[in-house]
Amino acid sequence: MSAAPSAPAIGAAPSSLTATGLRLAYDDRVIVDGLDFAVPAGELTVIIGPNACGKSTLLKALARTLEPSAGQVSLDGKPLSSYRSKDIAKRLGMLPQSPIAPEAITVRDLVGRGRFPHQGVFRQWSVSDEAACDRAMESTGVAELADRQVAELSGGQRQRAWIAMALAQETELLLLDEPTTFLDIAHQYEVLELAARLHREGRTLVVVLHDLNQAARYATHLVVMKEGAIVAQGAPGEIVTAQLVDEVFGLPCQIIDDPQSHTPMVVPLAAVAR
Amino acid sequence: MSAEGSRPGIAPDAALSSTATRRPVVRVGSWLSLPYRRRSVVVGGILAVGVLLLALLTLTLGTLGIPLTELPAAIASPKPGRTEFVLNVLRGPRLVTAIGTGAALGVAGALFQTVTRNPLGSPDVIGLGAGASAGAACFGLLLPGILPVPAGALVGALVAMGLVWLGTGRGFSSPGRMILVGIAVSAMAVAFVQYVMTRVNQQEATTLAAYISGTLADRDWGDATEIWVAVIVLVPFALLLGRRLDLVEMGDDVADSLGGRSSLTRTLVVLVAIGLGTAAVAATGPISFVALTAPQVARRLAKAPGAGILLSALFGAVILMAADLLVQQSPFGAQLPVGLLTAMVGGVYLGYLLLREWKKGTI
Ligand SMILES: Nc1ncnc2c1ncn2[C@@H]1O[C@H](COP(=O)(O)OP(=O)(O)OP(=O)(O)O)[C@@H](O)[C@H]1O
Ligand SMILES: [Mg+2]
Repeated sequence: MSAAPSAPAIGAAPSSLTATGLRLAYDDRVIVDGLDFAVPAGELTVIIGPNACGKSTLLKALARTLEPSAGQVSLDGKPLSSYRSKDIAKRLGMLPQSPIAPEAITVRDLVGRGRFPHQGVFRQWSVSDEAACDRAMESTGVAELADRQVAELSGGQRQRAWIAMALAQETELLLLDEPTTFLDIAHQYEVLELAARLHREGRTLVVVLHDLNQAARYATHLVVMKEGAIVAQGAPGEIVTAQLVDEVFGLPCQIIDDPQSHTPMVVPLAAVAR
Repeated sequence: MSAEGSRPGIAPDAALSSTATRRPVVRVGSWLSLPYRRRSVVVGGILAVGVLLLALLTLTLGTLGIPLTELPAAIASPKPGRTEFVLNVLRGPRLVTAIGTGAALGVAGALFQTVTRNPLGSPDVIGLGAGASAGAACFGLLLPGILPVPAGALVGALVAMGLVWLGTGRGFSSPGRMILVGIAVSAMAVAFVQYVMTRVNQQEATTLAAYISGTLADRDWGDATEIWVAVIVLVPFALLLGRRLDLVEMGDDVADSLGGRSSLTRTLVVLVAIGLGTAAVAATGPISFVALTAPQVARRLAKAPGAGILLSALFGAVILMAADLLVQQSPFGAQLPVGLLTAMVGGVYLGYLLLREWKKGTI
């Protein structure tokens, strides 16, 4: 249990993206209130929590696509609203949970749209745009699908095309909302490995996941949310306990050691034993 | 050629490497790079030729037509007389107005359909045409003499758009609300027109009816200048916004995180579309269905994502020129409002569209 490979020193690392006193609401419905959160720089942060607890809402606020009704998000100490929108987009990318693919768009064109913040009125498709798209499609395995229509892809292929679009943006900070939905188990691990690789290469990632075991295995920093609040965060090996899982998800379970990664593994109690 | 022939059986797509299928790009140094699509260029070329042909036909057909052989001379140095009258009064301004109005309507429709993500979107859906009719009725008949009718139509259109802006509670940034409020504003405007109709004599009512179905009859160079100024100022704006509009197509979250500023973009796009729509209304009265159909057909021809602004402009011009050519050569005479024809053809197209959406299960 204590064998977390690299427990991050919480609070010690200077974090560039921070949220303070955040209140997030849709019209009058407050989802998150008084939340403080610093995205640990250089870590692979995974957010878990039950459905509708506000994970996507928090991610949207961090990516400034949802305006907080109180509090603020700042990048390098300056509020996001003080930056030019395109300048933030060069440093911070987000892939939402259910993006919409335009009609008649090919994978290559979709990925190309991720280059928008790097382009201008006259420089709409530079050589480096081309190269960034090729790299993004290569690393997500969609290069062979480049000329296919996004609408004609399988759910998993489509998901990887969207991830490629986010990668083409080439940001140091990347927020991914449930990137593994629609993927079969092998492709799920492929995406997680990709996230781990991006993290090793020096990027800061925040990923929302639903699978606790995957979260515990890949997160270097785990955030557990419930009803709009963060109830625990830290190295998975230190914070994942049977009590926490029961309290947050209402799932009686036993925690064992993952024989492969030596991270905590959640095994639900058999129904007959309850 | 011979190299291709020497390996039969290989599908060209399979044989090409991924680099070969890349989009072609115009590059000048490192500061200018513009990607384009071959198919769009071909379609655009064909449509441009169509515009040219229709223009020639408009000027040359019929008993009053200028013979093709005399046309260059007539345009280069118009001598007073019949030819000059046809060119400068009868058909010239009408033709130039038709091209500009068709283009303006096509672009307005393309912008609206993309921003509302709705194939039935057009400025008319939010009451622009109805507002213009009400304005024309008000200043043409109810309170004559204060404003000329086209200016009245302009005021009506702007008032309608103002009501929509206020009615949504969040300006033009929410397409769903805009359509709902627009329906209400349209209904009020139509009711107002009907009220005016009951208050005036039959002669006046007939004149108004012709105006509010949209007509190209009796246009002068003033109308042509007005619509072309709007096109030349606003279409480049639309093209500039087009790239951000492409991002909004992918949902607000994606657009915003790419720096596309979805809410601002939507508002600006709607403003440009309204600007073009109102300019068109002021030039010709509300001509229906061009804004609805042009972008749709253009998009289908181009088979490309995005708003297709230039192709919609060209196709809008082609539709309106063709309709007006028919009207001018029809046995009913050139005074028949061209809007009646576009409404008739457009109505059939709308029916087809609804049927298709229905079969797809989207409505
Ligand atoms: N656009 C919206 N408008 C209004 N309410 C919303 C909107 N998006 C989310 N909500 C509400 O906010 C709450 C939190 O939603 P959120 O999407 O953040 O949950 P989540 O933790 O991501 O859930 P999931 O695991 O199902 O993705 C939910 O009650 C949801 O109904
Ligand atoms: Mg979510």
